[in-house]
Amino acid sequence: MMLIEADGKALLAEHGIAIPVGIVVADGRPAQLPGPGPWMVKAQVPVGGRGKAGGIKRCLTAANAGAAAGAMIGTSLRGHPVDLCLVEQAASGEERYLAVMVDAASYGLRIIYSAQGGVEIETAGAAQGRLCPPHPGGVAEALAELLANEPDAWRDQIAIIGRRMAELLLAKELALVEINPLFVTETGCIAGDAKVVVDLNAVGRQPRVAELIAARSTVYLDANRKLTEGFDYVELDPEGEIGLVTTGAGLSMMLIDELTARGAKPLNFCDIRTGQMRGSPGRLMRVLEWITERRSLKVVLVNIFAGITDLGEFADLLATAIERSPSLKVPVVARLVGRGAGAARNILAARQPGMLVTEDLEEALVRIDTIVRGATR
Amino acid sequence: MIGSLSRQTPVIVQGITGRMGGTHAALMRAYGTNIVGGTSTRSDMTEAAGVPVFTDCRAAVLATGAVASVAMAPPEETLAAVQEALAAGIKLVVTVAEGVPLHDAIKIGRLVKRADAVWVGASTPGLAIPGQIKLGFLPDVCLRPGPLAIMTKSGTLSYEVGYRLANEGLGQSIWVGVGGDPVKGVRFADLLPVFFDDPRTKGIVMVGEIGGTEEDECAEAYARLGPRKPMYALIAGREAKEGVSMGHAGALVHGGSGTLDSKTARLKAARAKVFSSIDSLIQACARDFRFSKS
Repeated sequence: MMLIEADGKALLAEHGIAIPVGIVVADGRPAQLPGPGPWMVKAQVPVGGRGKAGGIKRCLTAANAGAAAGAMIGTSLRGHPVDLCLVEQAASGEERYLAVMVDAASYGLRIIYSAQGGVEIETAGAAQGRLCPPHPGGVAEALAELLANEPDAWRDQIAIIGRRMAELLLAKELALVEINPLFVTETGCIAGDAKVVVDLNAVGRQPRVAELIAARSTVYLDANRKLTEGFDYVELDPEGEIGLVTTGAGLSMMLIDELTARGAKPLNFCDIRTGQMRGSPGRLMRVLEWITERRSLKVVLVNIFAGITDLGEFADLLATAIERSPSLKVPVVARLVGRGAGAARNILAARQPGMLVTEDLEEALVRIDTIVRGATR
Repeated sequence: MIGSLSRQTPVIVQGITGRMGGTHAALMRAYGTNIVGGTSTRSDMTEAAGVPVFTDCRAAVLATGAVASVAMAPPEETLAAVQEALAAGIKLVVTVAEGVPLHDAIKIGRLVKRADAVWVGASTPGLAIPGQIKLGFLPDVCLRPGPLAIMTKSGTLSYEVGYRLANEGLGQSIWVGVGGDPVKGVRFADLLPVFFDDPRTKGIVMVGEIGGTEEDECAEAYARLGPRKPMYALIAGREAKEGVSMGHAGALVHGGSGTLDSKTARLKAARAKVFSSIDSLIQACARDFRFSKS
């Protein structure tokens, strides 16, 4: 999961990499701007391409900076709500690009460097990469090769930054640390941006990363939910019409793709992991609670392919969860296939008469379509 | 190694006295897998799921001659489990835990490479040669001997695809879940030579996902090796939000890389057939293989 820039920069600073002085604001009235201007006002959303999407503004006066932050907050940038802005002193210097990342295929690190930093890095084609083993010696060697053409005065400065980025990545078990632009001057380097991708599977033994995530309950809503609930739920469209109660990441993703291709509006992604429910309807009730918070909801689709899970047991839990969810006022369609599908059908016929229970995904999707169109009419 | 697995291959289950280990050891045995023993740190149990329990892999391998292991360990203990298996001389390790830390997976990958072994995981539902052997927990209801090799990142989506193909009378020659983690053991591209060399395999089904470079690597290898057998690909995640991982840590798109469109373009350029719905893939396979049903 990608951290917002302010949190990424906090980690950089803790590992000895200079960052501009800045503050994070939640509205357009920053009490005390850091230092003298000009300032950069930057929307704090965990996604790239913010500059082109209008999420980064350079401001010469404090009034403009406040207005820029106020205008960004409350909007949506590339699908992510803007809750916070980083306002920092604009840095300057020669722009470079430097990234250290896990390289999956070589079980090592990939270091990427470009003498042309800036927004167009992906298309500029000037970036060079080196693979190296995941230890300091390998990193130093790779950096020496990548920086061979830089002037002597700068080479060591940039190499130190690269080594610290690798130390940070290894110490905090990160997937990616990227600085673009890295401002370089005669007197030193300063990180103009920070793109840091953390490993949510390592959060249990990375207290600093855990702390950063826990401190921002709205910005990292999905991650916090995963860490506290033990399963995955991602809201895709707050105005979605079809709530999904599904198991399996791949199947849930595919279902969302297919629904969307048919012109339907799925509300959420969900991998509820039936195997971990252990006889409790709790997870199902939580998902129904989140789904029914959205007033656009028109129908709930339960789609479970049970390889190991017994669908009879699941059907009992589903019926109980529905009975205990008074906020659920829309029809539920259940597509249940696999072990115990017959028993599940009988249980739901008795406890939830009127619910369509089928093994045929196509039949379920047609029913969903009918319900959504009926509700819209 | 994967292509030559059979009913005779001796297999141990690490963590066999646990809830998962015991259940799945019994299910694998019932399927026909030659489970010859298991390991456990519990000293009070000498037998579980009908096979002997050993204190560690070395003892298990010495006593049984096992060459493959299914490690039923929690995510944070998976690295240690693989270390133990490799040290005992195991040549194929299947790890099933969901949520193995990324940097542990890097360490596992380096150890496996050094030991010249094969690793399927980090998080995989397993692999199977239907009618012969199953390692992990692929649902029996989906498994049926037949002409299609399946390689997949997702468990559930592959169950759906495999089940529907089986209902069309199209079973599988080899089924390998490579898992949805970014850092893993066997990758899609590694499996192409296995499938090309396997006489049972007539066609290849790839169930991919957005994020990472595996589908791209596979497209490159497919073109390089020469498309000796037809490949049918389904890629999930068209509607995923950029910068947000959808359940699988590997299913994460940044900028233009790892997107569905870039993967589709590369696979098509390599002459694989790419589908945007489960149904269309099933129909194409049924059409192309209706005379080679088994």
